[in-house]
Amino acid sequence: MTADSNVIIEAHELSKWFGEVVAVNNLHVQIKRGVTGLLGPNGAGKSTFIKLCLGLLRPSRGHIHVLGSSPRHNPAVLREMGYCPELDHFFDNMTGYEFVYALNRYWGMTKQDAEKFTEKACELVSMTDRMDDPIEEYSKGMRQRIKIAQALATNPDLLFLDEPMSGLDPQGREEMYTLIRRLGDAGYGVVVSSHILYEVERVTDNVVLLYNGTVLAHGRVKEIRDLIDEHPHTIKINTPEPRALAKAFVGDTAVMQLDFLPGGLVVRTKDPNACYQILNDVMLERRHPIHGVQCSDDNLQSVFEYLVG
Amino acid sequence: MEMKRDVPDTSHTVLMGGERPVPAGMLSFILSVTGHTTTLILRRQRLIFAFIICLMPVVIPLVISASSDLQFGEDGMKMFMQLTKRVHIEVLAPLLALFLATMLVGEDVETQTIHYMLTRPIPRTAWVVGRFIGYMLIAAIILSLSLVLTFFACVTLPNFAIGMETLTELARFEFIGFLALLAYGATTMMLGTISKRPIIYGIVFLYGWQRAASLVPGMVDFLTIVKYTTALIPAEATATQAVKTQEALLAFQKQVYLIGAGKAVVMLLLITAGLLGITIAAVRIREYSGSRAIG
Repeated sequence: MTADSNVIIEAHELSKWFGEVVAVNNLHVQIKRGVTGLLGPNGAGKSTFIKLCLGLLRPSRGHIHVLGSSPRHNPAVLREMGYCPELDHFFDNMTGYEFVYALNRYWGMTKQDAEKFTEKACELVSMTDRMDDPIEEYSKGMRQRIKIAQALATNPDLLFLDEPMSGLDPQGREEMYTLIRRLGDAGYGVVVSSHILYEVERVTDNVVLLYNGTVLAHGRVKEIRDLIDEHPHTIKINTPEPRALAKAFVGDTAVMQLDFLPGGLVVRTKDPNACYQILNDVMLERRHPIHGVQCSDDNLQSVFEYLVG
Repeated sequence: MEMKRDVPDTSHTVLMGGERPVPAGMLSFILSVTGHTTTLILRRQRLIFAFIICLMPVVIPLVISASSDLQFGEDGMKMFMQLTKRVHIEVLAPLLALFLATMLVGEDVETQTIHYMLTRPIPRTAWVVGRFIGYMLIAAIILSLSLVLTFFACVTLPNFAIGMETLTELARFEFIGFLALLAYGATTMMLGTISKRPIIYGIVFLYGWQRAASLVPGMVDFLTIVKYTTALIPAEATATQAVKTQEALLAFQKQVYLIGAGKAVVMLLLITAGLLGITIAAVRIREYSGSRAIG
């Protein structure tokens, strides 16, 4: 094991299987302080790896050290970690404030500390105005923020955010990118999982590529981007006016191909950032109604296939 | 093998105001969980349902008193003891445990809120014990209230006067009810932790097995909770049922092995402690990944 104090997570020959299903397979990785993207398609083992880091699961083989120690049943390590799960799960009939407060008490805070840190965490994720409303009335973005608030409220050293952008609208995503970058800049260790490279790219340039439970690549996003640039990126836009919207993309050098679908438009591009900028302009000027944007990870899949050989 | 680690860099805490919270001790953990558990139970609709069911025995003496007291001349004290034994101790206490304790752990696994708790530095023992105390607080208040109201409703019947003797009986039944809630609660909580169909197993054990074991010859009934709660109840309250059981079995002779009140109390406490221990061990050993526990 390394004595590098910047290494916050270290896995060695780490494997986890459930019956005959191998979720994590002989994984070796060292993750350093700062924001790290855990990138991989669904079923790659991202969530299992995070749960192994959190001590919720016991390794079937090998070992994992987080902040220098094994995390399972280790209060000293758990005190330094915060976790925002992928799915929306909350206690019934609670407000956002009550939810964060209750979990602060579970952390072992006194009532006064729990109140103080709940208010601070809600403020940090811009939920102060809505924290006294029932969670049932929250939008997806607000739920996501309150989940991050509970992870942040204990002021941990290391944060695990499992698919934090999932289900968010474009504005919610922008807010999330800003928050994660802010956390990274402030010195938190942040592990963000996602199956979309573009999302990870917006918050960090350090990425661990997982596929079939193993680390395919670990390094700078640019290196992966270079591989991806050989494969077009697909953006599907839901709009009742696809032909009118297409005019905004026609002529842009970033656009490789436009396809029309009933109620939508598919843009194939090697420069998704440029296309998202066009989309932002269209939305801000309210030129055409846009009901949804989906970015496919087909291109990432093809990179995985390329790397696997 | 542990890695050496420098003093944690806490410069990032400035985002949260530059302070770090201080963790509390075991007792504080238990109290926090208890507080949260009572809040959760109090906000559930099933609590209202449980409360209404628990108030039903209160109506029986009132109805009898209003409609037929002169005709049948029901003895108030006897009615109270029989109602308490047959309804409160043998039906309502297990029912409250099924309603309130079965999902104390299981619900958090099902809804995956368990991940929030188990990723905090709370000892799992404190979590289980806190949950159980939360259940006991609510269940004991409901059962106790029902017993007190039934007691006063029985005053309307003949041969019942409130005095030191009858109040002592009330206190005795409150104590038995409390012990029954402990043992039944620990049973259903354990079932909810280790099995996927705790309600079905709970009903089978509480209302099927306990009845069957009390009829089977030999000492099988020592493997029930009702054996020990019955041992604490005065003979007047159990006499009628013994006759009925024999009638139902067409004079089938079952040797009844008696157990003293002191031993019965100790057994109920041991059952509670043992089952809580199993629950704690299960929560410690098991892995919680999705909506089902592993291991």
